[in-house]
Amino acid sequence: MSLLVILALAVLLVPAAGVLGRRAGRNAGWPLAVGLLALAGGLVAVWDDRADPGGVVQQVPWMPTLGISLGLRLDGLGLLFGLLVLVIGAVVVAWSSRYLGSGGHASFYTLMTFFAAAMLALVLADDLVVLFVAWELTTLCSFLLIARSGPEGRDPAIRTFLVTAAGGLCLLTAVAVMWAATGTTRLSAVLADDVWDASPGLAAVVAVLVALAAFTKSAQFPFHAWLPDAMVAITPVSAYLHAAAMVKAGIYLMLRFTEALHAVPVWNVLLVSVGLLTALMGAVLALQRHDLKELLAYSTVSQLGFLTATIGIGTEYAAVGAAVHVAAHALFKSALFMAVGVIDHQAGTRDIRALSGLARTMPATAGIMVLAAASMAGLPPLLGFVSKEAMFKAMAHSPAPDAAVWLVGTVAVLAAACTFAYSVRMLTVLPGRAPADAPREAAAAFLAPVAVVALAGPALGLAGSVAEPLLGAASTAVAGSGAEPDLGLWHGWSPELFMSLAVFGLGGALVLARRPVDRVLGRRSFPVTGVAVVEAFRRGSIALGEQVGRPTRSDVPRRHLMPPVVSLVALAAVGLLTVEVPGLYGDPSTVTDWVLLVLVLIGVALALRARSRVGLLTIAGDVGFAVALWFYALGATDVALTQLLVEVLTVVVIVLLLNRLPSTFHRTGEVRGWVAAAVAVLVGAGAAAATWLLTDRRALSPAGRYFLEEGEEQTGGTNVVNTILVDFRALDTLGELTVLGVAGIAIVVAIESRGLLPKRPSPITEPDASPIRSPRDNMVVLRVTARTLGPVIVALSLFFLLRGHNAPGGGFISALIGAAGIALVYLTAPDDRVSRMRLPYTRFIGAGVVVAVVVGLLGLLEGSFLRPLHVDVLGIHVTTALVFDVGVYLAVVGVIVAAISRLGVDEKEPLPLRHAGSASSVLHSGPPATTTTSKPHSRETAPVGTVHDEQDRTRPPLPERPDPFRGAGPAAGEGH
Amino acid sequence: MAIALTVGVLVAGGVFMMLRRGMVRVVIGFMFLNHGVNLIILAAGGADRRGEALGGSPDPATTADPLPQAFVLTAIVISFAVTIYLLVLAVTGDADDDTDLELTGREMETPTFIEDAGGSTALPADELGPRAVRRTGSHSSRRRRPPGGRP
Repeated sequence: MSLLVILALAVLLVPAAGVLGRRAGRNAGWPLAVGLLALAGGLVAVWDDRADPGGVVQQVPWMPTLGISLGLRLDGLGLLFGLLVLVIGAVVVAWSSRYLGSGGHASFYTLMTFFAAAMLALVLADDLVVLFVAWELTTLCSFLLIARSGPEGRDPAIRTFLVTAAGGLCLLTAVAVMWAATGTTRLSAVLADDVWDASPGLAAVVAVLVALAAFTKSAQFPFHAWLPDAMVAITPVSAYLHAAAMVKAGIYLMLRFTEALHAVPVWNVLLVSVGLLTALMGAVLALQRHDLKELLAYSTVSQLGFLTATIGIGTEYAAVGAAVHVAAHALFKSALFMAVGVIDHQAGTRDIRALSGLARTMPATAGIMVLAAASMAGLPPLLGFVSKEAMFKAMAHSPAPDAAVWLVGTVAVLAAACTFAYSVRMLTVLPGRAPADAPREAAAAFLAPVAVVALAGPALGLAGSVAEPLLGAASTAVAGSGAEPDLGLWHGWSPELFMSLAVFGLGGALVLARRPVDRVLGRRSFPVTGVAVVEAFRRGSIALGEQVGRPTRSDVPRRHLMPPVVSLVALAAVGLLTVEVPGLYGDPSTVTDWVLLVLVLIGVALALRARSRVGLLTIAGDVGFAVALWFYALGATDVALTQLLVEVLTVVVIVLLLNRLPSTFHRTGEVRGWVAAAVAVLVGAGAAAATWLLTDRRALSPAGRYFLEEGEEQTGGTNVVNTILVDFRALDTLGELTVLGVAGIAIVVAIESRGLLPKRPSPITEPDASPIRSPRDNMVVLRVTARTLGPVIVALSLFFLLRGHNAPGGGFISALIGAAGIALVYLTAPDDRVSRMRLPYTRFIGAGVVVAVVVGLLGLLEGSFLRPLHVDVLGIHVTTALVFDVGVYLAVVGVIVAAISRLGVDEKEPLPLRHAGSASSVLHSGPPATTTTSKPHSRETAPVGTVHDEQDRTRPPLPERPDPFRGAGPAAGEGH
Repeated sequence: MAIALTVGVLVAGGVFMMLRRGMVRVVIGFMFLNHGVNLIILAAGGADRRGEALGGSPDPATTADPLPQAFVLTAIVISFAVTIYLLVLAVTGDADDDTDLELTGREMETPTFIEDAGGSTALPADELGPRAVRRTGSHSSRRRRPPGGRP
């Protein structure tokens, strides 16, 4: 079995946990515990089989171009933490199977196993990127586990996430710095690099970043607030989070980087000072609490402080002390959390003041609590005593100046004395008289997992030699083989023994003087709580974001359009002043060019003056045609054709929506008009200057030369532009195709969800007898034309599609031609409500994208996505680029048909009944193109438009309706 | 020179249209801007070689650069799709900048000859609670059915 297999099995356990949790409910904990224990067995087996005493390494290529591999490495430290993660995880899920209520628990078990897998990946990672990903996954897991504890878990979950994710960013920075400095992402190589000695500045930066990341994760001051805050999560989650998972990730990180950073002064000072401060603060705060679970939370903060300080000392024996205490803490803290969970479960409360007499009513639970709390207090002969002695020894033998050693020792003794006191305080729930409604003892299956970890304390304390190989391997991995753990209970009259004795004395005094201590601590010791600070940060950042985003929060298009335009002008100004322009390659302007310029100028000038929408539309079409001619003049035949067709189809689409809009525009305010004009002139001048100064100053580009010279040979096509589209740069075209498809779907969705504006009354107010009233008769010419031209246009579009590779044409052009044919058929209908097209446009779009992607995948046969294949079918040369063009064709046609058929008619409007002589029921056959009257805005502006008036006025022109052309009087008076 | 001036005219016209009111004007301005930018891209290939990049072995000395042409071709089609989408936005949803007159009390830019024809003399909009009128109007028009549709 290899490391990768173990990790893969751990990951596979995640979906299995989901299924089991749904099927078996809470009982899923048992099989999952077995699974996790089996994985732990696997780790031990891999360790025993190792060839190299240092560890087992496995590298799997992941992102070879970046030099990142899925590197795994099992050394003593990884083994210690891996076993803790898996064994404590197994105990906790086994215990959960009795703690949880009946019903499905799929999400809980999924997240717990996911957490275990993420932690396993973290401690086995031998690659900085893998390490970081696993680190972030543990953050995510804890967020989800806290968030799923109900509505009151929401804010703590977010705060936890914010704090730990901020640490994640520090780690990311550290990873980037280390990668850049050492040139490799392999963790073991990075740690052994000589850059740490060579450049102390870099080492200090990395030390601070790594320490910050670890502090957030391990709840060190000032980031400690999230851990007690996260107590809203259910007890199994807390037990796992505190004993083996989340917070131990930070400890692991610090131990892992000790190899590289142990001699960096910043690292030592930061870790020792912050660690001891946290240890003392956490212990005092724990002494203040009455909720057992909260007390344990602060106790974890304090114990992690001890660990951080010990790691910070950086000596070989400090690694031993940290490794032993990691194991001891995992065992007694998980046991205590689960014991408190049992009490909470049976008694319904966790308040120390409300509980008493548990020694009589719940003797087994009481025994477990005594064992675990004694280990936490550091009493012999338990493992907690051994580990605290080891940490004291590391502190007493640190290489620091004497004063510092004394200070460190004193603070550590004070913190440990408080630990002693709150451990004893926990036990005050045991003696005394049991209340009348005393809780009953829990079932054996509920207590068994807790008993296992609680009994490990005295067992390992008495027979420490059992654990020596594991802990020795761990400390060797951290600090080399200079120090062997000596886990006996008696080491002679050494400084650490006197420290322990001082702890017992001071702690005993604190216990005996309980009332005065309570009086002192009862007052709020800190004016601000950590949670409030985090919350203030969170609210502040949200408020800041609101302020930053305020300028863009507007419906007025001008507000969004003006800033980029103005900054473009500024950019152009800077460019004009700073860029040195090479000499002109030769002014190529011809007479035709100047004619075209005049055409465009006239068109734009007229467009600016246009007051009605129809007028503007007509003029805009003219400008489009002039630009198409420009393209043609520049030798871009395909582009010119495309432009021409797009211009035609744009007009068709705009015509369809004109009868839903007023016929004329708003008047723009004077000031606004002048500002707009000034900005426009500046931008125009900038664009003209840029074009003049930056083009025509070099020969043909190398890329262009390549396409011209090699195009036919490489692709078999002689239309170079088309070969670029479907052969050389087909990925661009595929992306464009997708954008088109998305636009088409967005059009349908926008109309579907927001609804079209109602149609406006037709301004054509001819009398009923007028021949203009009958669209059917009016359409004769167009209809006959369409009937004749329709098939020709379709055939033409197919012809353009097929020849596109060798002559002007191709997917885009042919699709536009085909769509123009469809639009013609649409326009010949007498009434847009009866000409509703049934073409499945969304399927066209989807089919287009699918065809293009499938063709691209076929290219993989030749080794690369979208590489065209060339096949000879019956002597005719066929390339898959043609099929790709078919995809383009389908998508483009789909988009245009979607627009035409959805804009032309509000599908919610029912079809009109066909009366005999129904000429008058057919009204909105087209834009108000011929006669523009004041009718539309008389509806808008007449203030007396009551409901009845509105309805009356929007009905089809009734015979009695006054005609504005017959006299101004009645029209003006209408509605009054 | 001619290209540069054309680009300037198109960009200036487009920006001016986009900064005025009314979605259709914005859309047309967007189209002008597209034209201008497309011309810039084509000009980047060089306006001194204008031969069509067609047929076997075109002469690189006289043939236009095909790469900007391919770029512009796709750009035209994409901007067409975006133009349609913008146009759809102009006619969906509630009455807005395009249709809503009373919101700001501004008059329509009505050609004078139609004003003479009568009927468009806009009364001061705030005189009779224009908002309420508009709401009622648009709601009733939504409920409105075509006359023939009633059974």
